[in-house]
Amino acid sequence: MAAKKLRRAQLSQEMCERLSRYQITTCQDFLCLSLLELMKVTGQSYYEVQKLLCKVSRACAPKMQTAYEMKLRKSVNPSSAFLSTTLHSLDGVLHGGVSCGSLTEITSPPGCGKTQFCIMLSVLATLPVSMGGLDGAVIYIDTESAFSAERLIEIAANRFPTYFDSDEKLLCMSRSVHLYRELTCCCVLKRIMSLEEEIISKKVKLIVIDSVASVVRKEFDTKLQGNLAERSNFLTRGASVLKYLAEEFSIPVILTNQITTSLSSGPGIRADLVSPADDLSLSE
Amino acid sequence: MQREVGTLPLAPALRARLAAAGFQTAQELLDTGPCGLSKEIGISREEALEALQVVRQECHGDAARTAGGSGATRKCTALELLEEEQTQGFIITFCSALDNILGGGVQLTKITEICGAPGVGKTQLCMQLAVDVQIPECFGGVAGEAVFIDTEGSFMVDRVVDIAAACVQHCHLIAEAQQEEDLRKALETFSLENILSHIYYFRCRDYTELLAQVYLLPEFLSEHSKVRLVVIDGIAFPFRHDFEDLSLRTRLLNGLAQQLIIVANDHRSAVVLTNQMTTRIGQSQSTLVPALGESWGHAATVRLIFHWDNSQRLATLYKSPSQKESTIAYHITSHGFRDVQPPAVTHSTEGTELNPRKRPRTEEEKQ
Repeated sequence: MAAKKLRRAQLSQEMCERLSRYQITTCQDFLCLSLLELMKVTGQSYYEVQKLLCKVSRACAPKMQTAYEMKLRKSVNPSSAFLSTTLHSLDGVLHGGVSCGSLTEITSPPGCGKTQFCIMLSVLATLPVSMGGLDGAVIYIDTESAFSAERLIEIAANRFPTYFDSDEKLLCMSRSVHLYRELTCCCVLKRIMSLEEEIISKKVKLIVIDSVASVVRKEFDTKLQGNLAERSNFLTRGASVLKYLAEEFSIPVILTNQITTSLSSGPGIRADLVSPADDLSLSE
Repeated sequence: MQREVGTLPLAPALRARLAAAGFQTAQELLDTGPCGLSKEIGISREEALEALQVVRQECHGDAARTAGGSGATRKCTALELLEEEQTQGFIITFCSALDNILGGGVQLTKITEICGAPGVGKTQLCMQLAVDVQIPECFGGVAGEAVFIDTEGSFMVDRVVDIAAACVQHCHLIAEAQQEEDLRKALETFSLENILSHIYYFRCRDYTELLAQVYLLPEFLSEHSKVRLVVIDGIAFPFRHDFEDLSLRTRLLNGLAQQLIIVANDHRSAVVLTNQMTTRIGQSQSTLVPALGESWGHAATVRLIFHWDNSQRLATLYKSPSQKESTIAYHITSHGFRDVQPPAVTHSTEGTELNPRKRPRTEEEKQ
């Protein structure tokens, strides 16, 4: 929306040409200038510039919806609002399961079962809707090389023996889990940026990133100067793209995180503050 | 009428030509007339007419101001302000301790900023306020609508449904206890669908959309004149990444702050912003401070900081022009934002209501 070219914002042709002479071609450039600067570059009077500002704003402002419309839209399709984890007490606490359309973060010390949980959710997402699944493909971004395809088949065969009664069905399920191994922050970010087309072409219904913390902690040492800013930059960029994908396609996005000990005042263990699911990452 | 040509809001090229031709005051322009003007400086008659109309409008505005009318300068005495403030409503938060330290609740025409770490309850309070602004006046509310601008995507409709249902029920209990006719009548329009239909939601994904939306707010608010609350949930989020040019960021934020102050004053609505916390690394230790820097601290009139103390949530009033700095504890229940425990029975002298919240003020009890 921000990179929308001004000529699509319904400004006149000559105005667009005049602005492009000052290198103002997108709505973002236009809105970042103050009123006086705008008067200078457009050569218009104060009131005209205000009208232009309104026109450009209308071109990139979001659409309004009332909370009531949002609720109606959700209630039209109640089953698609959550992916049930099939653990009843967990589903109860989560109000239905992993919610579609937002980011969910799973944190624990090593060995507690985060990757296993992710693998199980991948199986669940490929199940048909009648069995509580999402009937779609899964994108699994693995940064620790911890994903095991054999384990995937084992979980599927043992958990749902009646559904996966033939090898054919198991192979079909495993074909819809797309695994990407990315080992650096840069690759992870590039992969996240390219997901939009994959989601549409492969009919993806679940995105899992296992785990964000390991790449970030490998590459950014917060004790070095400048690294903290770069790290939070990377995390917030990734977070905003993932939030956009989750909301746009109404699919759940699962991220795993690690635990670290906070050595400052205050008791014991705190989750590693590499938390893109929330607002920001604080330092350790 | 003696206004200088250089101060008029005309196009810069036109102003340059007028200066070159020797025009000095607005009166000269008006005396010359459009045809004379077009001949002297070489512009078309239509352009000259437009310019003269702008000049005339400006001069009328000036005259009105000097005559003491309600022009752009808004002059009034402190007594008038006092009367205005006393009759103005507050938006209650349903947590009586928080309302007390704020002096009654979130004030209209002021900007309130809520800072806090992730998960401490900022969005919950915003959703609570979006419901509370719609409480009818006979129950002590301001009977307004709400605009919710979301930059982080943390607005959950189901949660608003829970909060709204609890609020409606609370009002029903009061109406039953008081047995007054106008309370019951007000309740007919205060239903779940109505509450949800009057929360106008905008999802801004980056700072350009946020800027655009804030530029369009005055127009939106004049169409929906009952709006009494504008919430921007996550003003820091779009400005925190991808901004190499910090001076541009400061300038944009200041522009935003000014726009919001204008919105708050012109439309008599409260503006609530939520901010994130960041770590400031000092010499020996690091402290948590609100994000967006020191200069942003001047934008908000009232600042609340939410933080944890072991497992208790606390709210501190960090900056306020009229209340003293204090800290209270609050709770987030399935019904929304609430006090930690019911206040002692001696406090609430009115009412047999079951909800542990101070009775909302009616018109007579206010002073």
